[in-house]
Amino acid sequence: MSNLPDWLPAAGNPPGIDPQAVVTPTAPEVIARGDNEMVLSMGPQHPSTHGVLQVVLGIDGEEVVRAEPEIGYLHTGIEKSAENLFWNQALTVIDRMDYLGPLTNNFAFCLGVERLLGITDRIPRRAQQLRVLFAEMTRITSHCIWLGTHAIDLGAISPFFYAVDLRENILDLIEAASGARMNPTYLRVGGINGDLPEGWLERLDALIAKFPARMRELRDLLQTNPIWTDREIDVGVISAEDAVAWSLTGPALRASGVAYDLRKAYPYSTYDEYEFDVPTRTEGDSYARFLVRLDEMEEAMRIIRQVRKKLEPGAVMVDDPSIALPPKPAIALSMESLIHHFKLVSEGFRVPAGDVYSAVEGPRGEVGYYIVSNGDNRPWRVRTRPASFYNLQAIKKIATGNLIADVVVMLGSLDPVFGEVDR
Amino acid sequence: MADRSAYTVSTAVDPTAVRPPIDDVNEIIRTTPDRVLAVLADLKAQGYRQLTDLGAADYLERSPRFDVIYHLTALPAQATAVAELGRPRRARVLCGVGEGVTVPSAVALWPSANWPEREIFDLFGITFSEHPDLRRIQMPADWEGHPLRKDYPLRGPARDRTPRPPFASKTNVPAQMPPTGAVAESLRRQIFERMHRNGSDESEAKS
Repeated sequence: MSNLPDWLPAAGNPPGIDPQAVVTPTAPEVIARGDNEMVLSMGPQHPSTHGVLQVVLGIDGEEVVRAEPEIGYLHTGIEKSAENLFWNQALTVIDRMDYLGPLTNNFAFCLGVERLLGITDRIPRRAQQLRVLFAEMTRITSHCIWLGTHAIDLGAISPFFYAVDLRENILDLIEAASGARMNPTYLRVGGINGDLPEGWLERLDALIAKFPARMRELRDLLQTNPIWTDREIDVGVISAEDAVAWSLTGPALRASGVAYDLRKAYPYSTYDEYEFDVPTRTEGDSYARFLVRLDEMEEAMRIIRQVRKKLEPGAVMVDDPSIALPPKPAIALSMESLIHHFKLVSEGFRVPAGDVYSAVEGPRGEVGYYIVSNGDNRPWRVRTRPASFYNLQAIKKIATGNLIADVVVMLGSLDPVFGEVDR
Repeated sequence: MADRSAYTVSTAVDPTAVRPPIDDVNEIIRTTPDRVLAVLADLKAQGYRQLTDLGAADYLERSPRFDVIYHLTALPAQATAVAELGRPRRARVLCGVGEGVTVPSAVALWPSANWPEREIFDLFGITFSEHPDLRRIQMPADWEGHPLRKDYPLRGPARDRTPRPPFASKTNVPAQMPPTGAVAESLRRQIFERMHRNGSDESEAKS
């Protein structure tokens, strides 16, 4: 009767099963809430978890029923360490929280301590402009790593090389100015540590000149690539209401439509003098977060160009011998400088008692420090408001009901950095 | 410039003082654990829709000992442009918490309070009632103590107890040319044995 081979079972129910007893589940919730749930531990050594994150997934087939991220694998007690260091020494450990955006961490901390000291108005303009310049450079480098690793998670290897190449160009500049590629601790309370080296601005000009072409390359690789868009669009949707309720900040919040950017809302340093847009989208999915970050890289370069044009000559540290280290040549010539140097290095400076919350817009969102001083030369309490700690938490909400493969997309699009999540 | 030597150094920052803000915070409210949830719900109704941060601080000699600090930002719950948003209001709620006192959880108001409350429980030992999942988050589940308390040492005794292998002292090695051949092999074996011997034989190995 048919051309099927005779070893195939006949059509119909397998022998021994009463067709009346077979219940076909129809409603999706019946399938999802059945007894088929299996627990799958993703991480802490999974390549797509960007460090050491474990997500315990309750899955039914390919569908995620529950998602519980387990963090703390990188906990190093940075807050405790910072409370036992001098104010300027604390900058070195605070660098290492969000190790992809170290300068923005220090930026927030320095602004807070300067408010406690009451020297906010006396920070030289060149120092403020350079802080903005380096914060924006950090934003681009951080987004480069995000883009590269996010693409690798989704199976595209080449964007990583393009992104890291661009990042290295910027890190070379950061290294030339601060002495270190990764955790530069370039900022100090009261300004920045040393002016730019000779010829640095010309190198920056060269970077500015080639940036648009490099950015176009990055966009061409992924933005309209159908494989990429299929994986990203409508994956991990967060509504504006949920984004606010889950304390999302930065690109994750702006991709949901709320154009909340601390650089615009509470302009610090000289951000109110530059023209830039806050890239915002309303879709709230992974693709929207991808586009917002790409646009942010271009806006960051726009700010860098304006800082470059407006950069003023002058001092880079506050003129206050009790806070700023004296210039090195002065130590050899003046007794007072030597004494100040000795006192600042051996016991630091004291900060008036009080508390302050200071936040800046980091690459991942609001990086805030609630700093309490008791008048001593060490902070009493340094509470960090880590952007990716809060952003990552939302994975519990958005992963449920999606496919396992999409969890990787969502994690990447939230861009967590575990130095900051675990501290 | 103010005379900085006049600043008092004390471990107790005044518990009841509400200092004028020197940051972007518009209102500072000090409250107690039994009223904090009502205060927070009231603020949320006033438009403070985002729980920006939830942290704690230990003042050790102060009574109440801890502060749980909420930072709230008045963000809209729908898509908003930069111009409409302007400069959102910010509030800080300080809740004094004594040792062993339980604070009501804010998870019902903001789901994002889940992890920070777990972190405060983990690192300060402050418990939250009605929390859906109160367990350690940063430290291992079997950890003892709460590291961010001021009476918790910066370095634990575990660091001193780390076993170190007893190395051969210099007197054992002839002070001429480096040994070669069979002599070197026997020395290497001796050192290897000492490194892998139990701690009880340490004194013998040194002599």
